[in-house]
Formats: sequence, structure tokens, C-alpha cells
Amino acid sequence: MAISAATKAATDALAVNHAPVSVGAQEVHRWLQSFTWDFDKNRTKYSTKYKMANDTKEQFKLIAKEYARMESVKDERQFGSLQDVLTRVDAANRVHPKWNESMKVISNFLEVGEYNAIAATGMLWDSATAPEQKNGYLGQVLDEIRHTNQCGYINYYFAKQGQDAAGHNDARRTRAIGPLWKGMKRVFSDGFISGDAVECSINLQLVGEACFTNPLIVAVTEWASANGDEMTPTVFLSIETDELRHMANGYQTVVSIANDEAASKYLNTDLNNAFWTQQKYFTPVLGMMFEYGSHFKVEPWVKTWNRWVYEDWGGIWIGRLGKYGVESPASLRDAKKDAYWAHHDLFLIAYALWPTGFFRLTLPTAEEAEWYEANYPGWYDMYGVVYEEWRARGCEDPNSGFLPIQWFIENNHPVYIDRVSQVPFCPSYSKGASTLRVLEFNGKKHSFSDQWGERMWLSEPERYECQNIFEQYEGRELSEVIAEGHGVRSDGFTLIAQPHTSKDGRLWTLDDIKKIGCVFADPLKAL
Amino acid sequence: MSTSANAYNAGIMQKTGKAFADEYFAEENQVVHESDTVVLVLKKSDELNTVVEEILLGSHKAQNPTLIVEDRAGFWWLKANGKIEIDCREVSELLGKSYSVYDLLVDVSSTIGRAYTLDETFTITSELMGLDVKLQDVARA
Repeated sequence: MAISAATKAATDALAVNHAPVSVGAQEVHRWLQSFTWDFDKNRTKYSTKYKMANDTKEQFKLIAKEYARMESVKDERQFGSLQDVLTRVDAANRVHPKWNESMKVISNFLEVGEYNAIAATGMLWDSATAPEQKNGYLGQVLDEIRHTNQCGYINYYFAKQGQDAAGHNDARRTRAIGPLWKGMKRVFSDGFISGDAVECSINLQLVGEACFTNPLIVAVTEWASANGDEMTPTVFLSIETDELRHMANGYQTVVSIANDEAASKYLNTDLNNAFWTQQKYFTPVLGMMFEYGSHFKVEPWVKTWNRWVYEDWGGIWIGRLGKYGVESPASLRDAKKDAYWAHHDLFLIAYALWPTGFFRLTLPTAEEAEWYEANYPGWYDMYGVVYEEWRARGCEDPNSGFLPIQWFIENNHPVYIDRVSQVPFCPSYSKGASTLRVLEFNGKKHSFSDQWGERMWLSEPERYECQNIFEQYEGRELSEVIAEGHGVRSDGFTLIAQPHTSKDGRLWTLDDIKKIGCVFADPLKAL
Repeated sequence: MSTSANAYNAGIMQKTGKAFADEYFAEENQVVHESDTVVLVLKKSDELNTVVEEILLGSHKAQNPTLIVEDRAGFWWLKANGKIEIDCREVSELLGKSYSVYDLLVDVSSTIGRAYTLDETFTITSELMGLDVKLQDVARA
């Protein structure tokens, strides 16, 4: 019987490359690569405008056996710590209540990112033609499955062992009403899995992972420890032990296209779009979670961003690639402005829209206000005075009848949603890099907060059709929307979200919201 | 506080308030600047604490004085010019047990630079591996 071409190729390879006598992992890896893998005519469902080279290497030389052994040790250490000593010392109840709320957002949102990264790296495995590059992507698929489980587990752990489980236990049910969810889906889902395969790699691996996982998964552990949380370092630093291979995968994606003519035409635009897409959400949201969601401050968020994003990712990754034509992202100036101010802008809006969340927020104390002013000169006159007014009007007290969103309406400061990033912004009361732009397409108005998103929208407007909460709930009363969107605790009437973390403070209910009579209105209709 | 240019809070990070803002928003800082450094984040563990104290702060620091190691609660943060290299045969001898480069990777949390393994050595380098320098396979036995 005739043998297949693949079997013949394998037989021929074995004839000259005998199986290694030793079981050294890297010798086995080298031997595996010596087979005549035939991927250069790879057919893929996920095309790219770039030509990925067929000889790209994988930097860590992993084989399945060593991979599985390595990951099982990581899991043993992580779960061992959580289930033994951290439970014994009641670690979950030692977390500062403000930080407990931040972890509802960080761990739930990261779980979504990890889940989508499974699909993204599966797609890249399908697209690549180099055997070692495929091997690197395949390892990442398995990593992302592990990370999804880890994020789910830490929420479960916080909910089971700790304080105020609501929000840790089932955050996703609020995804229709929470204004932070849709932006998160834009960076963590759409950006990773939609469009050109190499663009997805740049979004996920070269920017999302090589740049933003360092503040999101590494620096966050400093803030966690400072605020009494020892579970998050245990889990997140274990997650990050896989990220270095993902960063290498992203770098090797660039290596694989470096000599392709298309790279000189498109790479800088794709890199800038990916950088802006990722920073537009991560920069304000992480800054807000770190600074406004903590009691003990590690350092100003802008310094964290300056170190990990600007100096180290910018200088060591992007700067070093300069001789291959990679340029500093054109949007960097606006991104830096956002890193200084956008998280303050976002917290103002997030606190104003607090009933739509799945976590509790706290107004800055007088001591914190001093810290903000010392680190961000001009903070008090812009934000501090507003918080003082809201507090004086009783924004934390359900009997006050005051929701801070009323302040925006009373002062004619409309809040819009950026169509591309889905991040809310208030152009008339903002210090970040946001200005209002409105375009009309197919009889519908679209608001944008910056030129970078507007440019992306202009090139493919059909991609960004997600309805925002103002369009979705136009004319609806707020308490009805919260009830419909599952924003209440297990008693059926107390909101998951609250405007304070005080143990003594009364919790707001649907009735407290209803009596205010707040109705959704689309600000674009007033233009 | 360390005065090294590679310290966690070096340069602009030592400034506060307006002084920080002035430098942060200065025109020359609105583009990235190429850096020859590398950053390594090591998860604290029994083995990695020994590697840091006995090897990195010992022989490695003597060979590369630009290396900075800082304790950041759950992890060790390292930064150096050029490269950082860990030979796991040396670690194995120090720990008195078998310890491969894949055992090391269990606790290597993050890298900024080009990280790779070759045989039992882990390297993170500022060189552009795969572009300027070819990535090698382990030599045949």
C-alpha cells in the first residue's frame, strides 16, 4: 500500500534525525522541529494583510511535557496558598472594604479578557505558518484557559470567604446596564478577536499583554498588598508567569512580518490604533481602580503608567524596534494626558452613575483630597469642590433624594459615550484628552471623544454599532432599568452598587431610586 | 533611596506635583526614547528568594553593577542594562536539588525585553532576538 506524503516525510526525517537518547526537554524540542512540518501553504480562516514568515522561532522551547509539569506546579502553589494559609488567617476579611470593591471590577473584567484571549490565540495558531510560532500560540491557548479559571476562582474565593459577596459572585448579569462593561468588551473582546489576525496579535500580545498586563496584573499586586489583600498577589502573579511567553509571542509576530513589504505600509498605523484602543480604556479604568478604589496609596497612577507604559514598554519594546521602522505611537501625547487626568474624569462620571454598577464606590476623604492635590496640582478646583458639594447634598444617604448625575444635568454638562471605545466622557467638564465630535451615518448620530477613535470609525463604521446605555434605555426610569438589568442583591430590592462602603451607612434600594424620578435621555438627540 | 538610574523610582519618579508634571509634559517626552535596559519581575518563592539573594545580588551584580533589585511586596523587581542571565545548573547546585530552567519559569512573572531559554539558561536581553541575533537551538548531544 502506498504511504502518504506526510508519512513518507516523517519516515525520511526519522532516518536522518534519530530520536534523542536523552529526555532533555530542549533536545526533544529541537528534534521535533527537525521534522518536515509543512505549514508554508497553510490555509487559514483568519487572514491577514501581512505575510508571516515560515521560520519564526519560539523563545522558550516548550514541549508539552514540560509545559504541563510547569503549569501544574503553579496551580499547586496557588491553590495550596489560598486553601491553606490564606483561609486559616482569614485573609479575605482583612482586605480593606474599598479594595474589596475594586477587585470586583478587576478580576471580573480580566476574566472576560482571558476568555477572549483563548479565541484570539486559537485564531493566531490557525493563521501562522511557522511550526515554532504555532507552538507558542498553542501554549498560550492553554494558558488563557487556565487564566479564565483563575479569575473565576478568585471571585469565588472573595465571595465565599470575604465581605460583601454581591458583585463578586455574579457580576456579568449587570452587563447590560453597567457603562464600564461595553468599553471593556471593546478592548478585551473586539480588539483581540475581530479583523486582521496580525492586528489582533498587536492588540492582544504586543500592546495588551506586553504593555498593560504589567500595571493590570503586576503593579496591581502592590496596591492589593498595601490594602490587606494577599489573595490577589497569589493569583495574579501566577497568571503573569505565563504572560512573558505571550509577550514573546507578540514580539515574534512582529519578527515574522518584519521583512514583509506590508509592514512598512501598515505596521505603524496598526500599532497606533492598538495602542490607542487599549490605553483609551485601561488608562482611566486602572487609574480609577487603583487610586479611588484604595485606602492606602502606593504611588500616583500617573507614575505607575509612566514607568510601565511610557519608559519601559515604550523604550524597551517600541524604542528598540525603531531601526526596523517602528515609530513612537502618534497618539502618545494624548495618551500621556489621559494618564494624568482621565481617571479623575472617569471617576467623576462613574460616581455620578453609581446605581448602574456592580460595585460600591466611595468619595475621597479630606486626607485623600490632599493627596490628590499634592500629586495632581489643580485637582481640587476641578474635582474636589464637586465632591464636597455632592457630599453636602447627602449623596451617600438614601434619604437625600440626590443622585450626582443630577449635578451634571443641572449644570448643563451632558455626558456622552464615545462610539468607538464606549468610554463615557463629559466634554464640558474634563481635563483628559477628550473633546466632542459628532458624525452622522445611516441617519444616526455618533459621538466621539478623540481623533484616534474617530479615524478608526471612519475606516469601518459598521464595526462600531454597539448601542450605549443612553440609546438603549432612552425614556426609561432608572429603578426599572436596574431591576430589569439584575442590579439588585438577593433580597430583590437592595442595589448591588452603593455610593459608600460604610458598614453603618444605609444601603440604597430600588424605592430610593424610584422616588427621585431619574429618566434616561440620549444627549445626542439634543444636538 | 537608590540613586541608580535603573531604580524603581529613578529620575522623574523622584519628583512630585508640578515638578513632575513639568517634566512629564515636556515636549521631548511626548515620544518614546529607546532604552538598552531590561526589566524582570520574579514572584517571591523559596527558590526565587535564594536566586535573588545568592546569585543575582552576588556574582551577577558583581559582573553587572547596573543591576537593581527591589522588593515590591509580592515580587522582586529587577532592572539592568544589557541583560540578566540565570544559569539553572548553578541554582540547582545551590538549592541541592534538581532545578531546570522550566522550574525557574514557574516563578518568573514578567519580562520587558527579549526573554528566552537555551539549555538550562534563562536570559532576558535588550538585543532584538530573531532580528539582530538568531535564536539558537540547544546543541546536539
